[in-house]
Amino acid sequence: MMRILLIEDDATIAHFIRRGMQEAGFSIDHAADGMAGLDLALNDSYDVGIIDLMLPKLDGLAIIERMRERKNNMPVIILSAKRSLDDRVQGLQRGGDDYLTKPFSFSELLARVNALLRRANNIVESTELSVGDLSIDLLARTAVRCGSKIDLQPKEFALLEYLMRNAGHIVSKTMIMERVWNYNFDPQTNVVEARISKLREKIDKGFDIPLIHTVRGLGYVLKHSEY
Amino acid sequence: MTLASRLTLWYTSAFVIFLLAAFVVFYLAMVSILDERMDEDLEEDIEEFAELFEDKGLAGVKSEIAREVMAGDEANIFLVLLNNEGKAFYASDLSHWRNLKVDDRAVRRAATKNRIVLRTVEVGGQEYATRIVYGRIGPQVILQIGESVEESEEMLEVLFAVFAVVFLLAIPISSFIGWVMARKAVRGIEEVSETAAHIHGGHLDQRVTVRPQGAEIQKLADTFNAMLDRIRDLITEMREMTDNIAHDMRSPLARIRAISEVAVSSATTTEAHKQAASTTIEECDRLLQMINATLDVAEAEAGTAAADLQTVDISELARDACELFEPVADEKQIDLSCELDNGCSMRGNVQSLQRMLANLLDNALKYTPPNGKVGINLGCADASIKVVVTDTGIGIPQPDQARIFERFFRCDQSRSETGCGMGLSFSQAVARAHGGEISVASEAGNGATFTITFPGSRIFPSPVRD
Repeated sequence: MMRILLIEDDATIAHFIRRGMQEAGFSIDHAADGMAGLDLALNDSYDVGIIDLMLPKLDGLAIIERMRERKNNMPVIILSAKRSLDDRVQGLQRGGDDYLTKPFSFSELLARVNALLRRANNIVESTELSVGDLSIDLLARTAVRCGSKIDLQPKEFALLEYLMRNAGHIVSKTMIMERVWNYNFDPQTNVVEARISKLREKIDKGFDIPLIHTVRGLGYVLKHSEY
Repeated sequence: MTLASRLTLWYTSAFVIFLLAAFVVFYLAMVSILDERMDEDLEEDIEEFAELFEDKGLAGVKSEIAREVMAGDEANIFLVLLNNEGKAFYASDLSHWRNLKVDDRAVRRAATKNRIVLRTVEVGGQEYATRIVYGRIGPQVILQIGESVEESEEMLEVLFAVFAVVFLLAIPISSFIGWVMARKAVRGIEEVSETAAHIHGGHLDQRVTVRPQGAEIQKLADTFNAMLDRIRDLITEMREMTDNIAHDMRSPLARIRAISEVAVSSATTTEAHKQAASTTIEECDRLLQMINATLDVAEAEAGTAAADLQTVDISELARDACELFEPVADEKQIDLSCELDNGCSMRGNVQSLQRMLANLLDNALKYTPPNGKVGINLGCADASIKVVVTDTGIGIPQPDQARIFERFFRCDQSRSETGCGMGLSFSQAVARAHGGEISVASEAGNGATFTITFPGSRIFPSPVRD
C-alpha cells in the first residue's frame, strides 16, 4: 500500500485529506506541526509527502530543505494559500515537486498525488488506454469504441486522453484548463463545458452506456458505470 | 540641530573668517606703509641737512636743528651731531632721551662708507620703540636723527580698536542676517512638513501652498501635492474597490449560507444534501475566482520580473485562444473569425499574454448575442504588434468607456451578470506591463472594438541568456 505523509496544521483540512486518501486506498500519517512532520519524514519512509507551507514550529519550505539536505527524495506536493507566481516558483525551486493552492478540490490533489507516484516509480505507461468498450492508442492518436473508429480533433483527443488517464477520478474544469490547454485560469464562458459536450457527442452518442459524466460542482469523470 | 541654525552657523563663520582675513591683510599693509614712510622721511632729512651743511656750514645746520625740534616735540624726536668717532658735539633737547646710546658700528659705516644707516632701538624711558638714522652730512659730521614710532603705533592701535568693535558687532549682525535668510529658505520646507503632519491625521484634501520663494521649494511643494493627489486617488479607488468586493462577495456568501441552512434544517434525502453541497462548491469557486482575479490584476500591475520574460510567439498564443473558444462560439452560433499574421513574437510573459488574449475573446463572446460576429486580428507588419478584437455585441455606452478598465467596474450597475469586471483591468495591466496600451471604440448596441498595441522595440528583442 502506498504511504502518504501529510503535514498540515488545519484540523479540518487534514481530516478531509486523510479521509479522502484512505478511501482512495492510501495509508496516511498526519503531523500537525513542522517539527513532528520533519521527524516522521526523516525517520520513516513514505511514497509522497503533502506539506502545508504555513506551519507551527517549522515552516514547510524549511522541512523540504532539510529533507533534501539529508538526501531524502520523497516527492512533495506543497499546499499553500499563497498563489502568486513568485511563491510557486520559490516552492518548486526549494525542493517541492508540485504546488497546489488552497482552496483545492480533493480530486485535484488525488490526481497530482497519482501523477507524482507514477513519475517517482517510473511506471512504464502503456501506449493504449481503455475504459469499457472505449480504447485509445496514444501513439497513433486514434480512438475506437465498439470497434468503430472515432474522428477526433487534436485537442479533443488530448481532452479524452486526460479523462482516460484519470478514469474513475473526477477532474475539475480548472485541471482540464491547466493540463489540456495549459491555461492556469478559468474563463468566464463555458469553454470546457462546450468542449466536453462536443466530445460527448462523438464518444457517447448512440451508445446505451455513457462514459463521460458530469459531477455537479466538481467537474467531470470518465467511467464505465453510472456515477 | 535644525537646518536653519546650521545654515546660520555656516553663514556667520564664513563671514567672520572673511572679515578677519581682510583685517589681517589690511593691518599688515598699514604697518609696512607706515614704516616705509617714516624711513623715507628720515632719509630725506639726512639729505636736506647735507645740502644745508654744504650751503651754510655747521652753523646753519645747528640753527636748523633748533628750529626742527620745536618746543613740545622734543619727546618725539631728537637730532644729534656726531664726529666720526661717535662723539656728540651738538644735540637738540635730550631731556627725554637720557638713555640714548650711540651705535658705533652704525656711525662707522656712515662715516667711512658714506651710507645712510637705519636702526630700530628701545631707548630706556621711552614707551615706544625709536627709529634712528645715521647719515654723514659733512666731513667729520654725522647726523643722528631719532623718532619715536609712537605716532604710527597709535594709529595702528586705533585701527585695531575700530576693527575689534566692527568684529564684535559683525558676529551678532551676521548671525541675525544668516538666521533670517536661513529661515526664509526653510520656510517652504516647513510648510510642506506641517501639511504632511496634518495629513498624517487624515486630512487628505489639504495641499501645500508656498509663497513664491524659489524654484526648489516650489518644486518640492508641487511634487508633494502631486503625490497627495495620487494617494487620494488611490485611497478613493481602494475604498470603491473594497466596497465592490464586499458587495460581490456578499451575494455568494448569502447563497452559501442559505443553502447550508436549508440543508441543515429541511433537507432529508441524500440527494438533497448532495445538491446543497454541489451548489456550495459552485458558490465557493465563484468567490475564489473573484479573489484570484483581484490578486492577478495586482500582480500584473506590479509588472513582470525580468527573469520571467521570454520570447513569446504571440501568433501562436492567439491561434490557441481561437481554438479554445471555437466550441463556445459554435454553441452560441457566433461566427468567430481569426485573422492572424504568422510568426509575430515579442518579449513577454507567456501566461499573462495568453490570459490577456483569452480574456478579450471571452468578453467578446460573453457580450455578443447568438448569430453575432466576433473577430480577432493580429498583425505585426509595421514594427509594432497590433491585436484587434471586435464583436457585434451590446457595446459600451460612451460615458462608461473610460471606466471599463477599472477594477470591478461593470457596465450594468445592477451587477446581475455573473463574473466580475476584472478581465479588462487585467488585460490593461498586462498590456501596460509589456509596454503596450489598450483602447476601446464602441457605440452602445453596436459592438465594440478593443485594440492593443505593443511598441516595436519589444518585437525583435536582443537575444537573452536562458
